[in-house]
Amino acid sequence: MDSSDAAIVVSQLTRRFGAKTALDSVTLEVARGGVHGLVGANGAGKTTLIKHILGLLRAQSGAVRVFGRDPVADPVGVLSRIGYLSEENELPGWMRVEELIRYSRAFCPAWDDVFAEELRQTFALDATTKIRNLSKGQKARAGLLIALAYRPELLLLDEPSSGLDPIVRRDIVNAVIRTIAAEGRTVLFSSHLLDEVEQVADHVTMISGGKVVLSAPLRAIKESHRSVTMHFATPTARPPQIERVLRWDGGPQEWTAVYRGDVAELRDIARGWNGTARIVADREASLDEIFVARVGTRATAATEA
Amino acid sequence: MRSPAAAIAWEFRRRHRWGFLAFGVYLVVLAVIKFAVLGGRQFAFRDEQAFAFAVVVPTTITFLYVLAVFTFGLDGDLAARESIYPARLFTLPLSSDALAGLPMLYGCSAAAVLWLATRFLGIWPAGVNVPVIWPALLAASLVAWTQALTWMPYPLRGLRVIVTILWLSSLDAIVLAALHFQASEPLMLTILAPHVPLAYLVARSALRRARCGDVADWQRLFTRGDVSASVKKRAPFASASRAQVWFEWRRHGQSLPLLVAVLLPFELAMLFLFHETAGIVVETFVIILLTPAVLATFVAATVSKSTASASDAYTLGAFTAARPLSDVALIGAKLKATILSALVAWLLVIVATIATLKVSGAAPVILDGAHWLANAIGPLRAALAIVLALIALIASTWKQLVQSLAIGMSGRAWMAKRSLFATLALLAIVLPSSRWITRSKALMAALWTALPWILGALVCIKTLVASWIALRLFAKRVLSDRTLVIAAACWSATVIVLSAALAAIFPAVIVRHYVLIFIAILAVPLVRLAAAPLALDWNRHR
Repeated sequence: MDSSDAAIVVSQLTRRFGAKTALDSVTLEVARGGVHGLVGANGAGKTTLIKHILGLLRAQSGAVRVFGRDPVADPVGVLSRIGYLSEENELPGWMRVEELIRYSRAFCPAWDDVFAEELRQTFALDATTKIRNLSKGQKARAGLLIALAYRPELLLLDEPSSGLDPIVRRDIVNAVIRTIAAEGRTVLFSSHLLDEVEQVADHVTMISGGKVVLSAPLRAIKESHRSVTMHFATPTARPPQIERVLRWDGGPQEWTAVYRGDVAELRDIARGWNGTARIVADREASLDEIFVARVGTRATAATEA
Repeated sequence: MRSPAAAIAWEFRRRHRWGFLAFGVYLVVLAVIKFAVLGGRQFAFRDEQAFAFAVVVPTTITFLYVLAVFTFGLDGDLAARESIYPARLFTLPLSSDALAGLPMLYGCSAAAVLWLATRFLGIWPAGVNVPVIWPALLAASLVAWTQALTWMPYPLRGLRVIVTILWLSSLDAIVLAALHFQASEPLMLTILAPHVPLAYLVARSALRRARCGDVADWQRLFTRGDVSASVKKRAPFASASRAQVWFEWRRHGQSLPLLVAVLLPFELAMLFLFHETAGIVVETFVIILLTPAVLATFVAATVSKSTASASDAYTLGAFTAARPLSDVALIGAKLKATILSALVAWLLVIVATIATLKVSGAAPVILDGAHWLANAIGPLRAALAIVLALIALIASTWKQLVQSLAIGMSGRAWMAKRSLFATLALLAIVLPSSRWITRSKALMAALWTALPWILGALVCIKTLVASWIALRLFAKRVLSDRTLVIAAACWSATVIVLSAALAAIFPAVIVRHYVLIFIAILAVPLVRLAAAPLALDWNRHR
């Protein structure tokens, strides 16, 4: 990808908080007009990365550019093109919904009143209710409304549906899909709810311990990873070490491997064990399985691909 | 930690260890002076200022610190309707009795220990019979009542400050009256004994209400008509800056006018009651004029807080930090909202005071004062002096609101705490020293001679610091060249106008004109205001 086409370019970004390295030489590009899923366990560095993109954290080393601009040097130029919704969702409790809309529209020349009203009605938000009296799900919807209503070029969602009920999560996912499908804008969507990311993302970056461990189009990731269940004639406490098996689960006779590569190779390997092992199931690995295999704690010995 | 009581005590000790350590060092120093240097002998202070410097001021400051620590006042929003008791403690598996009782026990004990230590280790003037028990009980009562009243939820913003001040003043008045009539120690103990248990009962009831979110809201009584209609009728904001000013006004701007509106009727009532006693009318008039500036010092803590929440978070909330507004625009909105706040508060004071003076019949006393001034310095100068004094009072109110803005905007808890400590330490030195200096004619004469040099040095320091800040603002691109030039021009114009006004009031034979220019330069705010955008930049882009 040409960097000039990218909405976000992060180069060799490192951030330390005291002795802890929150981001370690992170390099990332988010293409314009797509949904980029950022996944990682709690404390992996997702929110730290997003705060750098918003300019709320200054790069200690490396660089961050959003639409070619430095978000710290030019906060107005960058923030005026971003819609942001976070898990914290610190909306002022003393405002009424209508006041929040009136206040937020002042910052956005491209604010779409019709769209805002449509979203308000879709989300069933009473204009006269104070934010502090809204439920957590309603607060998330109010936050989503002000993030979407001016049709920002870049939508940043930092764990927006964490702790919310399935209906609100569906609203958020639908809003992302609508933003992209209808308008071709860019979305960076951070979550540890991988089924959501799988629904909407076309590119996924996995982050662990402040490092990017995998960044590729979702289709490519899913095509290159298989979930393969093997049956062993003799029960075994430790499955064999096989190159490209990222993780083994199960036992003692049936083990399931997350395998990166062509499954035919694995079948050949199984045949080589004098018929004591055979593949009983083979399917495309889910993003959840790939994530656990890539960044989760290994249950048994395995060889990193 | 073996028990909840130990855990809560540990939290106080852990969080405020440096303050407690400083208090301990102070006591050790007192003990060393008393027993090692003086050998237990009585010490004859030359005057009450020296005694105040050595004993009263440090004790008062330490007591205020104890009060702030054990009410959780260092973290909470005093003006908020909600209890300032930390909400995180409400979820502990402890009864409201324990939640109220444990911090109250520790607070009262600390206050009593402070008095007893001061009583036995402090250096008291010879021949003075210093009581032991009842002042300790008074200190404990003051802590207990402050805790109860600050932990209580209130139906209006700012009501906490008013109620607490009035109640504690009443308690002080009772004690002073008892002392005036030379009440015996047993009578003093009888008067004070019920206060801690009573305060505990109030605190327990307050926490029970606060714990279940039982906070009445009288704000709606002031909202006329249908809310939905009034909300929908409003036109969009003309600009992002106007929207931010509205935000700041709604967040903090109303607090000062509201506080003034609550306190002012009590002060104006004095004019009705004592309109025939000139001395009380003048004193009340002066107190009324000082009210907005004094109340502004309380409101300033919330204005300068960088986050919207009332929690102990000092960082800028993402909602505000992610506004597509420059740091200067965010600070500008705060400044405009505080100007509006000061003007509204003063409009209330001016209108209500003029009306009360006229209706109560106390106006002639004040008018006589104005006529005396006109006769003394001439009508034109007198008019100019009165106008300038009024402007100075309004400006001073605004200055109180914004002077700690740079500290709050930095978003660093350690800066806020160290700044508070430094201010208290400075006051502990400056107040007794100034009283001591004003008593000595020789020192006053020397000070008067050296005044131009002192002012000149202060002007140099202010100018140097301001230049450094301007360079930092320029280097970080927080301010554009144009804004820097406009700000410098506005500040210079204000200094020139103020210098000219001062020169018109004070003849050159009394004060040299260059001294007046120095005074004008020092009076017009510059450094702390200029530092605010820099502090916000430091906070917003960590």
